[in-house]
Parts: sequence; structure tokens; C-alpha cells
Amino acid sequence: MPVLEVRDVTKTFLLERSKLNVLENVSFSVDRDEFVCLVGPSGCGKSTLLRIIAGLERPDSGEIVFHGQPQTSPTSKITMIFQLFGLLPWKTALENVEIPLEVLGIRKEARVEIAKSHLRMVGLEGFENTYPHDLSGGMKQRVGIARALALQPEALLMDEPFSSLDELTAKTLRSLVLDIWRDPTLPTNTFVMVSHNVEEAVLMADRVIVMSPRPGKIIGEVRVDIPRPRANYLRDQIYFKCVDEVVAMLEGSGK
Amino acid sequence: MRRYFVGLLAGLLAIVIVYWLVMTFVENPEIQNLPYYTFRTLLRITITLGISVAWGVSFGILASTNKTASIILVPFIDLLQSVPILGYFPAVLILFVSLFQGSELAIELSAILLLFTSMAWAIFFGVVGAVKGIPVNVIESAQSFGLKGFKYVRHVILPAIVPALVSGATLAWCDGWFFMIAAEYIEYAGATYWVPGLGSFLAKAAYVYGDISLSAILLVLVTTIVFYINFLAWHRLMERATAGTYKPVLRLDLSGVGQLGVIRAIGHSRWLHLGDRIHWPKSLILTSQRLRKYTRLEKAIALVLALSLVFLIVYLTAAQVSLDVIKQGFSSPPADELANLPRYIALTMGRLGIAYVISLGVALGMGILAAEHKKFAAVFYPIYDIGQAVPILALFPVLFITLSRTFGGVIGLEITSIVMLILDMIWYMFLNIVSAVRNIPSEIREVGKLFGFKGLKRITHIVIPSILPAIVTGSILSWGTGWNTIIFSEYMPYGESIIYLPGLGSYLDKAGYIYGNTILLIFLLAIIATIVLLMEALVWRKLLRKFEKYHAEV
Repeated sequence: MPVLEVRDVTKTFLLERSKLNVLENVSFSVDRDEFVCLVGPSGCGKSTLLRIIAGLERPDSGEIVFHGQPQTSPTSKITMIFQLFGLLPWKTALENVEIPLEVLGIRKEARVEIAKSHLRMVGLEGFENTYPHDLSGGMKQRVGIARALALQPEALLMDEPFSSLDELTAKTLRSLVLDIWRDPTLPTNTFVMVSHNVEEAVLMADRVIVMSPRPGKIIGEVRVDIPRPRANYLRDQIYFKCVDEVVAMLEGSGK
Repeated sequence: MRRYFVGLLAGLLAIVIVYWLVMTFVENPEIQNLPYYTFRTLLRITITLGISVAWGVSFGILASTNKTASIILVPFIDLLQSVPILGYFPAVLILFVSLFQGSELAIELSAILLLFTSMAWAIFFGVVGAVKGIPVNVIESAQSFGLKGFKYVRHVILPAIVPALVSGATLAWCDGWFFMIAAEYIEYAGATYWVPGLGSFLAKAAYVYGDISLSAILLVLVTTIVFYINFLAWHRLMERATAGTYKPVLRLDLSGVGQLGVIRAIGHSRWLHLGDRIHWPKSLILTSQRLRKYTRLEKAIALVLALSLVFLIVYLTAAQVSLDVIKQGFSSPPADELANLPRYIALTMGRLGIAYVISLGVALGMGILAAEHKKFAAVFYPIYDIGQAVPILALFPVLFITLSRTFGGVIGLEITSIVMLILDMIWYMFLNIVSAVRNIPSEIREVGKLFGFKGLKRITHIVIPSILPAIVTGSILSWGTGWNTIIFSEYMPYGESIIYLPGLGSYLDKAGYIYGNTILLIFLLAIIATIVLLMEALVWRKLLRKFEKYHAEV
């Protein structure tokens, strides 16, 4: 049984006085331990879709089903990592990680402990009392990851998490995320990532779901069967074949 | 477009009918002059606006394109605009009256000059900011195509300054109405000087005729005219002018808010003026904030300029007035009250403090509600628009006469004074808060939602921290305008006598307007300037620096 199901989701925005169809009858599902990546041209509604899954937006029709239950509002079992990190600038790295725990009503000592261990996990030991202002982009995203994991979610949603980082930093963080995904001791095992970078999607995902330009529809999916760790296959035919397949779908949809 | 003309004509018709009604049914020896007074006031403010625009554009472009001119002009103008206008007005008046042998032209010219000193700065600094805000790539591409001199001004600079010019002119226009009553009706050293206009008529209705209903009617009339013109001219201009700006940050995205009540009635689809006000306050960005951006050389020159100005004043004073005159200034009335100065300062600060706290509280509630709920926005934005249009100086006597009937003179004036201060301070806070709440980055909002912040917890953990910098900016502006208002809100003719609330403002009034004691006036102005600077250095600047990092580069 799939962990997460997106059923027939349709979403329209009202802009000025005109209607903007963003998503049209989008359906797919994600299994346990699966890493799914949504790719599509900009403005195809993939970020909106992710927000609907997170419970931040409501679909006009259709539903999100999590473990067989319809999901309409944010839950601690599904969390999100943001493109621009979404850190509260008036809180230190540690306090930022503490926030979701505080809302859950966890005691101060306990949550400091949890937050510290998660910062350690993402390699930010020693930066607990630094404000986001004084952290580099990569470090900020590490805080974002630690904050999401502190909730011990099952599903992790990522909205172009590496697109505002330089390539070297992005590379390091991609492997950090993959390590977390593969770590059997962590409860977080179902990943959905939005990206417009096809190479990144093929490198990370089990399945790449390709969306059309607005209104966003699913036009196909590519199963990536490259053995992991995939860093070893980046020069191989099998990798380029997958990339080409996704690119062909994207280009076909634009015509 | 057609709806616009319908609105225009309907408004005009309504105003004509109201005028006819007022002129027919109100009994007052001067009431037949009402259209003439309106015409004079409109003409006066329009002429001053024209002068301000011409001055602001030429000097603004000069100051922002020419390094040498900038080094001299900007600090000098900063210095000028920091002096409370109502403070140095008597000196201007006396100068003109003596120049023109007391003719009406002299009073007219000094009224225009006073209006100019309240209107010009917004335009000047708007233009400077806009020219400095032209992106480097635009400048470079213009240079690479060989645009120089006048062509450069025409194709690059002028288009870039239009939005700032329009919003600056709007502000100037509002400021003009604000100071109208002070500029048109002046009591100085026992004599009364006035020029025909709505402001002076309003002042006379309150002080000479003591006719509260007439004052109230005139007040509503003035408010309606300001509101009408704002609506049909400025809003529209603003909407057009802001279409092609480089810096969208100067504007506020209000799509979705605009289609409401009053606005819809008049046929406006969007409402754009709000955002432009936010970063364009009466005195524009703080002197200190600008000072901080100065280079060392500019600071040095500003210092030299300030010192030479002080020396000039000292020299002129010393040349014309010997030490004895200064001594005399400190020994003639109202110098006998100098011992009370600490008490006066405390009382005035107390009034400002109370008004500030109330403004902050109300503005915070209103601002957050208006920014987050369309239903509240539908109520609060029109209130803001009307509140902005009320010339506070004109409201003052009307409010006082009403309140003094219930509470008696002194307490009535005390309440009036605080209410005036609140009405004056609250809009800066409100606007800054609304814009800040609306500009909270969507990711921050989403984080709040994702992790389950709700209700009060969301306000204290997400909303308030996000808008703290804006609250500080709003506070600085509120206090700035409050200091200006306090000068006229602590004293009021009441029946045969004049009521003074003990305070710095009324003391300054006595020194300047009643006794014409220039020495003491300068001394008191220096004290106010010192307090303002101290508060900036000790409170606001520290807070701004602390909250700077809250402006997340999210």
C-alpha cells in the first residue's frame, strides 16, 4: 500500500479577475522508502502541488491521502524543506530547530537536546547560537533539514532545496539528503522532491514524474534503475539515457 | 475610463451642491466668500506644489548626478528639513513683512514659503532616491549607446523619477493641506496676520466667531475636497506612474484588497497609493539613517556646513545683537518660566508617550487585521484614507470646542492634545505595519503554518518579530510628526483668554508667537532638537541596528 497518494488534484488561482488553472487532475502515489522527484517547466504548478501535499494549500478538488487517511492540514508526519530555507531570522540555528518541537509542547530541556543532536547530524555542531544572518546558504539549508527531521516525520517534502545554492554546496547537500533517506535508523523514509534540474532528479530519485506546462498535468514518468550510489555512474550511458528520456518528455510537452 | 469620469463629475456635483447648501443655510458674514476662499487655498497649494516640483526635480537631479553638488546639497537640505517648520515661521513672516512694508503680498509670500518648506523635501529626496536607484545595468547600457547630457536626462533619468515624483507630490500635497491652517492664519506678537483661504476661514470660524457648527462643516468640507482630489487625481496618477518602476519594493502589492467598499463605489479597480507612502514619510527617511550612509568626506562636509551655519548665526546674532540682547532675551518674558523647563519637558514627553503607546497598540491591531483579513481591510483602508485627508490642524479647534463643553477648558485641551497626537501619529504606524505584515516572506508564513503556529502564538512568534523593523521605523516617524504637532496642540484661545497646557510646546508658542522672544525661541528649538537627537541616538538607532538582521534575506 502506498504511503502517500495524490488523487485527482485540481487547483485554480484567481489572478486579478482572470482564472489561472495551475493543476489539472494530478494523481500519483509514493511508496514507503521511495524517493520521487517532480520535474517540470517553471510555472507548471509543481511547487503548488507540494504545498497541497504539505497541507499549506487546499486543492479545489481531489484529495491527499496519507496512510489511507485524507489529509487536509499540516501534520508533523509530513514536513517540508524550502527553497529559500524558511528560517526565522530572529531565532538562532538551535531555536529554529526547536520551533516545531515547541509547538508540539515538548519540554525545553528535551527539545534543546533533540535540536542539538539534529544539528550535529547535519554537521552544524558549534553553530547552535548563530543567527541565520551569519550562516552561509548551505549552512542555512542544513538548519532547514535539521528542523524538518527533528519532528521525526515519515515523509519529507523538498521544494527545489538546492536551487539557491552554488553547485559545490548543492552536491554536498544532495549526498547528505541521500544519506538521511537511506539511514535505516531514521523514521524519515518517503521523499518527494520538486526540481527543475533533470540531472539532479535522475541522480537522486527512484522515479521522476514529469509535468506539463500550465495547467500542470502529469505527462509521464521515468523509473530510474541506476544502482546506488549513483555518483559512480555519472559518466555512464545508463545515466544519460534516463536524463535524455526525461528531457525528451519535457521538450515534447512544450510543443 | 468612463466610470472614472462619472466619478469625477459626480464628486464635483456633490461638492457644488454641498457648497450651495452651506452658503444658503449657514449664517456668517463671510460665508459668501467660501468659493473664493477655496479657490485661493487651492491656488496657493497648487502654486507651491509647482514650485516644489520644479525645485525638487532640478536640485534632486543635480544632487544625485553631480558628486560635488551632492556633497554640498544633501547634508544642507537634511539640516534644513530637520528644523521644525512651525518653529522658524515667525522669523520668516517678520522678514517678509518688513521687506514688503506689511502688504498682503508679504503674508501671501510667507504663507507660500511656509508651505514650500513643508512640501519640498518629500519631492527632493524622492527624486534623489529614484535616480540613485537606477540599476547599474541601465546606466551602463545607456552609456554604451552614447546617451549623454540632456538626452540622458530625458531617456533615463526622467522616466526613472516619475513614480517618486508622483508619490512625492502626493505627499507634498497632503502636507500642504496639513499646514494650510498654520500658514494662512498667524498670530505673532499680539498681531494677527491672515490671507484669504479655507484655512484662515476655519481658524476664524473657531477663534473669532467661536462657531463650532461652522468649524465642523468647514472641516468636513476640507476633508471631502482633499479626499476627492486624492482619489481622482493622485491615486490615478500613482497607478499609472508606478507601472514601470525599477524597484517594486517601493510599492505594496494590494491586488485583492482594492476591490472594496468606497473604492468600488467610485469605480477604482486597484488601489495603489498605500505602498508609496510607506517609505516616503513626511520627513522621509530619517536624517540619521541617511547620515549613516554618508562617506567620511560627506560627513566632514556636513559637519563643516553645520558648524559654519552655527557660526553664521552666532556671528549675525553677535553683530546685530550684542550679548546684552541675549541676556535680555533670557530675562524678559516668558523667560521667568525657565525654572519650570524640566517639568515642561516631562509633561510634553508624557503626552507624546501616552499618545505613542495608544497609537502603537491600536495601529498594531488594525494593521495586522487589515493586512490579513479582507473584511477588516474593507473597513480600515477607507478609515485610513479619510483619516489621512483630515487636516489635523483644522480638526484641532473643532475637537477642542466640543470636548471643552463636557470637560471644561484645561482637561478638554489635555484630552484634545493627546487625541490630536494620536490622530497624527497613528497613520505612520498603521501604514508601516500593514505593509510589513503584507511583505512577510511567504516562506516564513508557510513555516508558521507548517509547524502549527496558530492564533496568538502565531502573532507573537511569527508576525511581530517579522515586522519589528517596520515598527521602529513607524515609531521614529510618529515621534517626528508628534514633535511637530505638539507645538500647536498645547495652547488654545478659549473664550476671552488663552489656555496653556504646561509643556514645551506651549512654552515655545509663548516665546515665539505671543512675546516674540526670538532668543528664547531659538533656545527652546535647540532643546527640542537635542531631545530628538538623543532619542534617535539612544533608542531608535540601537533598536534599528538590533533588528537589522530581521530583514532576512529570505
